[in-house]
Amino acid sequence: MIELKNISKSYRTDTIETLALQHMTMSVPSGEFLSIMGPSGCGKSTLLNIMGLIDEPTEGTMTLAGKEIAGYNGAQMARFRNEQLGFIFQSFHLINDLSVVDNVELPLLYRKVGGKERRRLALEALARVGLSNRAKHFPNQLSGGQKQRVAIARAIVGRPNIILADEPTGNLDSQMGDEIMEILLKLNSEIGTTIVMVTHDERMAKKTHRLVRLSDGERVS
Amino acid sequence: MFKNYLLLSLKVLKRKPFYTFISLFGISFTLMILMLVTSMGNAMLGSNKPMTDMHRMVFMPTVERFTPFYDTLTVVDSIVMTSGEMRYDTTYETNERGRMVTNGPGSFHFLDNNLRDLEDVESYSFINSNNHADTYLDGRKVSMSTYYVDADYFRVFDFNFLYGLPFGQAAIDEASKVIVMTDKAAKNYFGEASAAVIDREVEIGREKFRVVGIVARPLVENEATGGDVLLPYTTIDNKELASTTLGGGFLAVFKAVSPEKRTSVIDQLAFYADNFSMPPDQDFEKLGLDASTYLELFADRMVPGDSQNTDPSVWTVFGPIAVLLVLFLVLPLINLINLNISRVFERKSEIAVRKAFGADSKNILYQFVLENLVITFIGGLIGLILAFLIIQYVNANDLLGITRLAFSFKVFLYFLIVILLFGLVSGILPAYRMSRTNIGEALR
Repeated sequence: MIELKNISKSYRTDTIETLALQHMTMSVPSGEFLSIMGPSGCGKSTLLNIMGLIDEPTEGTMTLAGKEIAGYNGAQMARFRNEQLGFIFQSFHLINDLSVVDNVELPLLYRKVGGKERRRLALEALARVGLSNRAKHFPNQLSGGQKQRVAIARAIVGRPNIILADEPTGNLDSQMGDEIMEILLKLNSEIGTTIVMVTHDERMAKKTHRLVRLSDGERVS
Repeated sequence: MFKNYLLLSLKVLKRKPFYTFISLFGISFTLMILMLVTSMGNAMLGSNKPMTDMHRMVFMPTVERFTPFYDTLTVVDSIVMTSGEMRYDTTYETNERGRMVTNGPGSFHFLDNNLRDLEDVESYSFINSNNHADTYLDGRKVSMSTYYVDADYFRVFDFNFLYGLPFGQAAIDEASKVIVMTDKAAKNYFGEASAAVIDREVEIGREKFRVVGIVARPLVENEATGGDVLLPYTTIDNKELASTTLGGGFLAVFKAVSPEKRTSVIDQLAFYADNFSMPPDQDFEKLGLDASTYLELFADRMVPGDSQNTDPSVWTVFGPIAVLLVLFLVLPLINLINLNISRVFERKSEIAVRKAFGADSKNILYQFVLENLVITFIGGLIGLILAFLIIQYVNANDLLGITRLAFSFKVFLYFLIVILLFGLVSGILPAYRMSRTNIGEALR
């Protein structure tokens, strides 16, 4: 499902070159729930961004859902993200001007899906995360856990093959974190969505199929 | 997709009332002023009735008589030897140093005898617009400007007849006591401007004139169309028609067969003046026929310039107005661009989220440009309503004196174009910048 070969990423300023990832090779089979751990600044988020076509590697090749990504232009990458990937962020990144259901509909706006069908799919996704009754609310009327559930609904509404979650429980207390984790585990087991999750929480990582540890931009286990 | 963008735009505007208010205030105020200026320009210089054919018209408000004074300059070009004799090769240049001038409308006699046979002229009219009449009705004084005109006046100027008809050649030939009034004059005199006024009588200079037509008052009253009442020129004081001097009280307006032929008419008048042999009893040697287009006449009235060359004064008048207008458009535009940049900057994370979930740069660009167009159109609509109300108020109270503001389809069209440009220009730059947002950085 996800194949990384010799991926490196460096950030260059006028005077300094910082290596965020060094010669990373790994593969995530279809249906796996993988967690990535490591200290701050070790390159976890960079790795996730590269997998999500949000950032480009300086070196190496990547295959996502059977497709070689190198050479994709902006529009092709946008389309790929839309059809194959779903994102969950630590700070939710919901659009405050839009209602919950409109937020969830967002990925479908960039596909050829009619308004009614969009609404149906969004409500279905909200039902899956247990938030049907909050569809008309606005994000600032929700608790942190509810916001993250909306974000999950948004990530799954387009039925992507891969979900990339960047510390999805990082801003939540342990009870809410557990609830979110339950939803992700269920998605993985019931639908078979491949999930790659960056986390700082050992307890959460243990619930996933496999754990990869990074340090200083390199894989250590 | 378009519907989504539109709905989203409205949602965003509703959710950000302060920003929406500031933007709407700026846009509607700017566009309202622009509308007022445009409608004023259209009223003053647009092809509105009765000057629909203004681009074919040549105005000759005055007949100039002058005597030039010359300086003679001797220039020695070379010294040559011919058959052993030395000789200066000399040329003489004569430059006009100044002139003694008298200037004023022409006499009917002069116009009648000399300017009836110009080529490329479809119709022409000699107008006496120098008179005022005070009439009394039920003890109330009504002051009116009286224009004495010929039958062709109504061919040159296409007045909008609300009731009745113009007088014709028969009325001129018989010096009939008939009169055409503007609706305003009719209201002043009779208290109404309706069909009931036709055939009623107006007393001017102790004589009674029968109303045959009521015309809509022109938007701008100039010296050819500004009469409250129009009478057959044959009913004027006989001295005006009998005088054989060059100067008098009449101006001439010629309507060329086409706009292109207007120059030909002006040239013919200049040629005629240059070759005119001044009668020996006159105090002046030469004749000048001051013919100009309406635009030149207008500019000349605003900034009286050199009577020999009115062209530069067109720019003297319209240049600064154009610069002011551009500034008036550009300054709020820059302000709006600035406001939009800070607004889209606030929404950086939204843009990054949209891109993460599949929006490409084009989608983002369209969304923000459309959002901007929506707010510009709403602002424009408010500006339009405000401008409309102000125009009604200004016209109803005659606040601009001889000018009234026009609100026409053409003005509305200009308005739409200005709004579209305003919306596009102020939206594209910020939207373009934001469509290039780096997702990773924006979501950090």
